[in-house]
Amino acid sequence: MARASSERVMPAEAGRERASAAAPVPIVSRIGGAVGQLFEHEWVFGYTMIAPAILYIVLLVAYPFFVALRFTVTSASVSEPIASFVGLRNFVDIWNDDIFRRALINTFVFTISSQVIQAFLGTILAFLLLRPFRGRRVVRALFIIPFTVPVAIGAITWSWMLNPQYSVLNWVGSHIGLFPAPGPNWLGEEQLAMISVIVVNVWRGLPFTTILLMAGITAVPQEIIEAAALDAAGFFRRWNDIIVPIIAPILFIALLFSFVSQFTDMTVVWLLTRGNPVNTTHVLASYAFEVGIVSGDLGRGAAISLFLFPVLLVAAIVMLRYLKSQQLD
Amino acid sequence: MASTDLVVGDFAIEHAPGHRMRRFFSSAAFWLTIGAFLLFAVFPVYWMFVTTFKQINDLYSLDENPLIFNLAPTLEHVQFLWDQTRYPTWLVNTVEIGVFTVIITLLVSIPAAYALARSRFPGSGTLGIGIFLTYLIPPTLLFLPLSQIVVGLGLINTRWSLVLVYPTFTIPFCTWLLMGFFRGVPREMTEAARVDGCSRLGALFRVVLPVSLPGILTVVIFAFTLTMQEYVYALTFVSEQTEKTVTLGVSADLIRGDVFAWSSLMAGALIISVPVAIAYNFFLDTFVKGITGGAVK
Repeated sequence: MARASSERVMPAEAGRERASAAAPVPIVSRIGGAVGQLFEHEWVFGYTMIAPAILYIVLLVAYPFFVALRFTVTSASVSEPIASFVGLRNFVDIWNDDIFRRALINTFVFTISSQVIQAFLGTILAFLLLRPFRGRRVVRALFIIPFTVPVAIGAITWSWMLNPQYSVLNWVGSHIGLFPAPGPNWLGEEQLAMISVIVVNVWRGLPFTTILLMAGITAVPQEIIEAAALDAAGFFRRWNDIIVPIIAPILFIALLFSFVSQFTDMTVVWLLTRGNPVNTTHVLASYAFEVGIVSGDLGRGAAISLFLFPVLLVAAIVMLRYLKSQQLD
Repeated sequence: MASTDLVVGDFAIEHAPGHRMRRFFSSAAFWLTIGAFLLFAVFPVYWMFVTTFKQINDLYSLDENPLIFNLAPTLEHVQFLWDQTRYPTWLVNTVEIGVFTVIITLLVSIPAAYALARSRFPGSGTLGIGIFLTYLIPPTLLFLPLSQIVVGLGLINTRWSLVLVYPTFTIPFCTWLLMGFFRGVPREMTEAARVDGCSRLGALFRVVLPVSLPGILTVVIFAFTLTMQEYVYALTFVSEQTEKTVTLGVSADLIRGDVFAWSSLMAGALIISVPVAIAYNFFLDTFVKGITGGAVK
């Protein structure tokens, strides 16, 4: 116990003392011993252990990020990676590009609308799934399936369900009288294609949002939930007084994660519409891929995907604040 | 129904039938809502299943009800997927990439998480949060420069490019998860080992790791499934058929021009989705804790 408290007060001191206590092992080599002893020092140990992780991140995340920044001001292309400095020409080019501007707007439209729908449906669903009922575990297991299916697989399955000729949804829709026989061409018309992308995003994102919400609500003392659920009139009053202040933070974090992953995703758009019809459904990420990889214009591609960064930065700062506030508790 | 109840029932609790009606309707509404949500969630997977096992004539017939098997189910598309496509190779690649990524992840994340959980050194808190925030950086921000780096290393068009790059998203996430598990190991246990003459590293191997085995298993499963789900880096780096992963191969190579081999495509989708879905169900709660940074307990 005394040792434990001494470590907390003077970590470095305690580490050294511990090292000398461990020393009576037969001395094989003085240098090896000295290195071992040094390793027992808390700081040396800590930095050595964390070094590989930091190295990996610096080499394969931080360095590439700076390479990307450099790309944005050069004429780099896949055929000519070492290129000349062009200043802000790439940014001027993409800003004058109608497809880019549409992609920028689409990214926000797709992400925000699917987030709003997810927040709304997710809250309803979280409360429903938290009720005790028979078969709850099975329902929950089935319900998270869209989240577990790889994005690419989910998107390709939806593109089959929305196939212009053999759409199963159109068969059902026309048989229950929602629309006349052949049904809408979901991925072939601008508005419908946009709706399809949003629906697939919601399909995929809803389980995650709901599960995080459930976890958040479970953390609220059960009596409060029960009291709030008892009578409908009281429910809405308590909703404002109790539930919202308590679940709002967790809803916020759930949506932040989901926002970031959908804002930066290209998979759904790429596999569902590939930006079509006539480039009206591109998002930043899919258009960056189209320009940077398919056409091989690294400079312009990097400039396009850099537009993702401000939003990510804001998300990171918000997340940082949240983590700090959690640590203070 | 309700009126019969009223006659039979005790007049003293006159309001009871209405109450019962309300309960019946609220429970019906409950199950209808749950049912609607479930239908939305599960239908694509059901459609995957039906498409996989339907005979071609049944699948492309526009007159019959597509939701059921009008002709006997068949295994021929699974057979085709297995014999006539690269699917088995893609499966092997996916597993291989997953295994190597998991090994690298554990080798890097375990020491980092242990140091962050148990040692105090200047900047440890900042470094920990820094590693976690790396998880927010998406592939779509880095795929262009990384593609050039991968070319430079001579790894383009090989599955090793993915083994190199996938740890960039598994390490942050797994370090964060492992930190939580290591913090859960009682300090007294490591203290005791240290008093008995264990080095810092010895305490990790002899005490902390054995105790956190369930946590490490969770991390292994998650890192593995994360690599199985990845698509953007695979699409960017690999175009050689024999080097592809399942998600890439299924969504790129099974579609040839306008002739969509939907049955074998859905078979390939189903085979990869089922194990991942099962794995996630087992470890969902741990995942939730990890993603919220251990904030939700």
